[in-house]
Amino acid sequence: MSNQYIIQPDLTFINEVVGLGGDTLKKCFQCATCSVACPIAPENSPFPRKEMIAASWGLKDKLVGSADIWLCHECGDCTALCPRGAKPGQTLSAIRSYAISEYSSSVPVVGKLSKMVTDPKKLALLTAIPAAWLALMAIITMFMGGVMEKIFHVIGLHWYHVTDAPIAQARFISTWLVDMTFVPVFNISLLIFAYTLYKMLSDMHANALAEGKTDKETLDYKAYFNTIPTVLKKVLKHTQFNECGENKNRGTAHMMVLFGFIGCLIVTTIGFGFLYVLGKPGPYSQWWPFKWLGNISGIAIVFGAVLMIKERLGKPDLNAYKDWYLLGLVLTLGATGLLTQMARLAGMEIATYAIYYIHLIAVFHLFAYLPFSKLAHAVYRLAAMTYAEYANRK
Amino acid sequence: MSNKFGVYICKGCGIGESIDCDQLVNVASEKRAPAVVHDCLCSADGVATIKKGVAEGINFISIVGCSKRVNSDIFQFENCMVDRVALRENVAWTISREKYPKKTENDDDYFVDNVQLAADDYIRMSLARLEKVKLPEPFQLPSISKKILVIGGGMTGMSSAIDAAKAGYEVTIVEKDGALGGYAAKMRKQMPVAEPYDSLIPPMVADKIKEVQAEKNITVKTNTVVARIAGQPGEFTVTLKKPGETNEFDVPYPLPDSMKVDENGKEYDAEKLLELYKEYNKGKNDVLTLDPNGELFGAVILAAGWRPDVIEGDAFKHLGVGDVDVVTNAQFEEIAAKGKIVRPSDGKEAKNVVFIQSPANGDDRDFNYAGSVTSMVALKQAKYVREDYEDGKAYVIYQHMRTPGLTEGFYKNMQQDSGIFLTKGEVTAVEKKGSGFVVSAKNTLLGESIGIKADMVVLAAGMVPATADDPVVNMAYRQGPAFRDNGIFDEYADSNFICFPYETQRTGIYAAGCVRRSMTIEESMEDATGAALKAIQCIDSVNRGVAVHPRSGDMTFPDFFFQRCTQCKRCTQECPFGALDDDEKGTPKPNPTRCRRCGTCMGACPERIIGFADYNIDSIGSMVKSIWVPSEDDYYNPPMRILCLYCENDAMPALEMAAMKKAQIDPQVRFIPVRCLGSVNTIWIKDALAQGMDGVFLLGCKHGDDYQCHFVKGSELANVRMSKIGDALASLALETERVAQFEAAIDDYDKIPGVINAFVEKVVAMGPNPFKGF
Repeated sequence: MSNQYIIQPDLTFINEVVGLGGDTLKKCFQCATCSVACPIAPENSPFPRKEMIAASWGLKDKLVGSADIWLCHECGDCTALCPRGAKPGQTLSAIRSYAISEYSSSVPVVGKLSKMVTDPKKLALLTAIPAAWLALMAIITMFMGGVMEKIFHVIGLHWYHVTDAPIAQARFISTWLVDMTFVPVFNISLLIFAYTLYKMLSDMHANALAEGKTDKETLDYKAYFNTIPTVLKKVLKHTQFNECGENKNRGTAHMMVLFGFIGCLIVTTIGFGFLYVLGKPGPYSQWWPFKWLGNISGIAIVFGAVLMIKERLGKPDLNAYKDWYLLGLVLTLGATGLLTQMARLAGMEIATYAIYYIHLIAVFHLFAYLPFSKLAHAVYRLAAMTYAEYANRK
Repeated sequence: MSNKFGVYICKGCGIGESIDCDQLVNVASEKRAPAVVHDCLCSADGVATIKKGVAEGINFISIVGCSKRVNSDIFQFENCMVDRVALRENVAWTISREKYPKKTENDDDYFVDNVQLAADDYIRMSLARLEKVKLPEPFQLPSISKKILVIGGGMTGMSSAIDAAKAGYEVTIVEKDGALGGYAAKMRKQMPVAEPYDSLIPPMVADKIKEVQAEKNITVKTNTVVARIAGQPGEFTVTLKKPGETNEFDVPYPLPDSMKVDENGKEYDAEKLLELYKEYNKGKNDVLTLDPNGELFGAVILAAGWRPDVIEGDAFKHLGVGDVDVVTNAQFEEIAAKGKIVRPSDGKEAKNVVFIQSPANGDDRDFNYAGSVTSMVALKQAKYVREDYEDGKAYVIYQHMRTPGLTEGFYKNMQQDSGIFLTKGEVTAVEKKGSGFVVSAKNTLLGESIGIKADMVVLAAGMVPATADDPVVNMAYRQGPAFRDNGIFDEYADSNFICFPYETQRTGIYAAGCVRRSMTIEESMEDATGAALKAIQCIDSVNRGVAVHPRSGDMTFPDFFFQRCTQCKRCTQECPFGALDDDEKGTPKPNPTRCRRCGTCMGACPERIIGFADYNIDSIGSMVKSIWVPSEDDYYNPPMRILCLYCENDAMPALEMAAMKKAQIDPQVRFIPVRCLGSVNTIWIKDALAQGMDGVFLLGCKHGDDYQCHFVKGSELANVRMSKIGDALASLALETERVAQFEAAIDDYDKIPGVINAFVEKVVAMGPNPFKGF
């Protein structure tokens, strides 16, 4: 029996998935109602029935590297119809969290962050790091301008970005220092993703081959990357989300947040260009179109986050820390961004800087912890959906 | 005292509209029986009318209206014989006036009023029967023992004993082992018995033993078995002995069939057979010899329990049987009861254990004698592994996971354990790898062929009832010491599992617990209560001189006219309940309290010397003869007459359900209910044909291995007798097709009218009986 699969249940895996919100997974008795109910499960070995038994048998290797766990959008149709209360939707979500920490913790040096990000007790420490760093940056900006100008002069740059606005965030923490902090952090995160995605892709392909879920024998990276635009279009349209029956309105909220973030990314890039290419520092006039985009994006993020929080509060049994961490972060990002601007326009200098300080801490959370938190789903799900599209998963 | 007849005719429920009741009064007067017509007999006024008659001395009452299956509580009159004529069901509802209109002024004297003719016949039949029956007198034993014997001192036996003792009955428990407790005393833990049914509990057996010991009505005899149970309910004479001992009152066995014939296959004569029988049972007293030192009991509860099945042989080779680390669930329980789960071969911790529920020999059957209990035992023992080792892993591979009713809670809770893994699957191999095994399975829920590393393998052996190995009850009955035909129940001691729980094929002996089917302790305790109640019902019924079951309360019993007995032994051999023990000459000795009053002996007897006070050869024969068979002298085109003898247990309610639905039945049929088709004596059929009736058919229960007969053998025996009647018919130059037997289940009400009408059509096509008019 050459194709025999030797079972090696991992009890730690079961217990961890249980801890990550999959506490109902052992209730499954394999009726497969979930797979029938799922609007987006493929016909060939559909999820989540097989994921449920693999999870209750502790078969980590069948789950962590499977693209299928990412195809699920946790719409909750399966959970609503499950006759045993096994909540397949939440179980898959817990497995995804486990997969995120499994891949991110394998990264050299920073892998340890993985455990901390999912541990509520470590939240204070994770916040204290950027808080201290940014406080230092503020001190440098406010009290050591002269010294910095001299240093910058040596390398042929100007420390001060001249503006005549009465209040400007750059007077609190220099744009130089902000960018010198966040550009490297962001890039490190990208590197971490590159590292984990490479591993994940080969795992997904091996898993698909073993379970007969693909017609591709070897993984062709070029073809894979060429598939990304097709999938991106689906993601932007929320095609999968809209097939859900149970949680339809969550799709709208998710869309608002996603587009809000994309809008902010565009605005930041434009701002970056204004500052370093045209040498025009902020704050900019409210009449400029990219300011409109920025404001609309901020409002979209706040609204989307509030909608999702409201929906979640209606379901008291959903209380995984990973979810609340992400929702709290999104709301903080959007709200502090908008409030900084409002305080500035109102001429409240101290308030402006204080809120801006919080905003930057939140941004640090977003960038630095991105590969370790639930937000990493943005990257992993895109990668998995692209793989499914590429691999002809039907 | 001479009997005074009275006929009461009811016009209610549509009878008055379709039948001329004054004409019925005329028919009754032919027999000089006064008849009264009433609009609604079951009303207070109707009953008062009958009571008035009773007060005037009427004691044999024919109540013409509805079936005896309804209003039986209303039409009960002390010291009176009541015959119920079901005109409503057999005539008014099933022979429609639309199809068979009343006679009008335009019709001549030769008009055939089918409805009225049927009604007239039923009045005649009722009066004919009343002339031939007597008021029953109960059979009373000279003395009666009210003690209950419980065989088996396990959870079931002890529970039965406690229940019966608490109800005020003296109980003796005999236990073959040295101590009470049975298998339950060998367990580490047991399945839950109360809400919320989710966790294992400590064994309850120790408390049960204390309860038995504290009960003053209970006597416990350990190291004791039953040598024989002789006599009958109410006066069973029981000989007890130590296990393995020989005793002159050890039960004799009937001669095996192979010893009854000579080398040419010819059966020996009666004398030689008796000699061989005596030789075969040398040193044992005959069944009719009572042990003078025997203890008397009123009823017996058989709670002999079970033994674990042995799994061996080529059929299980792929499961690794023969290896000491491949054990049965019973062996695993022994290990668990001793302490931590360790491997038998080297005493090392067994942290990975695979439980195999089904042998997967090309089908999905479980091991023999397995059931929901073995499913739950696997879950229980899986939990042992988890209790003993934090990193322990227990795998259950099943074809069926049965956790019925509230025990679903137990399944759910065991399933919650992160180290218990369940999957449906077929085990293909158990192979040795190092000191452990790799268990291979296919068609699993994991979607592929899997291999599981195991330190130990546990097979879900079934629970073999004690009655599979040994009669246990050792009844000194002529038919043998064991229950008959247990083979069709896989040797479980049960006569009809669904309809009559606790009943065995021997009156007064009630089975409970795992001799009936595999049961959990909870189920066994509940079963024990049922059997205790049955035993009490038996003693009480015997005390009042009435039948226990299924004709509960029937006061009649078979009466033998011995002067004409030819010692043919047919009654002794055919009685489904072994009620008769013949002596050396072959004369039957009746044991009335063993009897269930089915009348199978009456149907069997070629000399027709057996009968009941209210049901006998003459009473039914006279009913048959009272049916008027018209001939060409009466009508241009005389209607045919077809007799139906139908079983009152299943066929009768089925037909009455059909009647309630106004199903139409051919008016040429006349129905006579019988206690059981087994009681049908072929003389009735001959009587019917001899007086010119054109056909006869029997309507009774399904027979065979999945029989539905209340009396086990009745419809089967009727079938055998009917096949033999063919020769007699042929000698009379009658077509054998004029006689038939049909099977009817109680829910066949939609099919039976079709079956009957089709038979009538067939007989009509054959033409009239040539004996008509002689």
